[in-house]
Amino acid sequence: MPEVKLEPDKWVDRYSDYLYNFTISRINDGVLAQDLVSETFLAGLKSAANFQGKSTERTWLISILKRKIIDQYRKSNSRKGKAEVRMSYLNSDQDGDWLEEQARDLRNPTVEDEIEQTELGNALNACIAKLPERYATIFVQKTIDKLDTEFICKEHDITPSNLWVIIHRARVQLMDCLKTEWFEED
Amino acid sequence: MGRIFITCEDANILSTRNQYDDLDSKERFRYKLHHGHCPQCRSIDKRNALFTSKLNFLGWKRLSDAQKKSIKASVRAALKK
Repeated sequence: MPEVKLEPDKWVDRYSDYLYNFTISRINDGVLAQDLVSETFLAGLKSAANFQGKSTERTWLISILKRKIIDQYRKSNSRKGKAEVRMSYLNSDQDGDWLEEQARDLRNPTVEDEIEQTELGNALNACIAKLPERYATIFVQKTIDKLDTEFICKEHDITPSNLWVIIHRARVQLMDCLKTEWFEED
Repeated sequence: MGRIFITCEDANILSTRNQYDDLDSKERFRYKLHHGHCPQCRSIDKRNALFTSKLNFLGWKRLSDAQKKSIKASVRAALKK
């Protein structure tokens, strides 16, 4: 595999939507997700000297983002823990009521849909991460970012025929990757 | 792809392009004609459509242009340092 060079000036156009989706499917907060994506790029710039070029840019940025998300979980869990202790102290005689009110109704189909969406999103992100860098970038640009064919072809210096072959191959690989759990045909 | 009858490989690419509404009327005709006599490509097309519906169900969220602009500005500022 040829060594990969970092191109930070193209990060936002190439990876921001992918990283944002990756984040929001895990933390479900748009503003925080945007901050984490931004922090990921800045952390990437800071540690650019340590990038050895053995993984792709996207894989490397995802690994930085994963650490940021874990840090965020830790922060919010410690905050949540404190809040629960305070709540329990103030309403010590109504513990049962409070718990019952807070429980979500899992029979509600919208909740099930949300869970399925999140799980499918995570599975798809994992499969996209397994694609060759070029395939993943072009697939995301066309399918998620909904960029014009002409724009993508210009950016990657390819013909529309090449673009469609790449997208088709990416989709086939993604379908195979998702097949086991998510993609059983009737 | 000037022929009326196309290969399975071409039909599969057209199937993918069709998921993005990218076919013109001639291409759509060739694609449908091929599917009329090729059960294997019909099955691949069905799978392709199912994948598209899963992707649509996901409801991908995108950063707005303003959000991207703001991130770009902070990356540029950091690059200048």
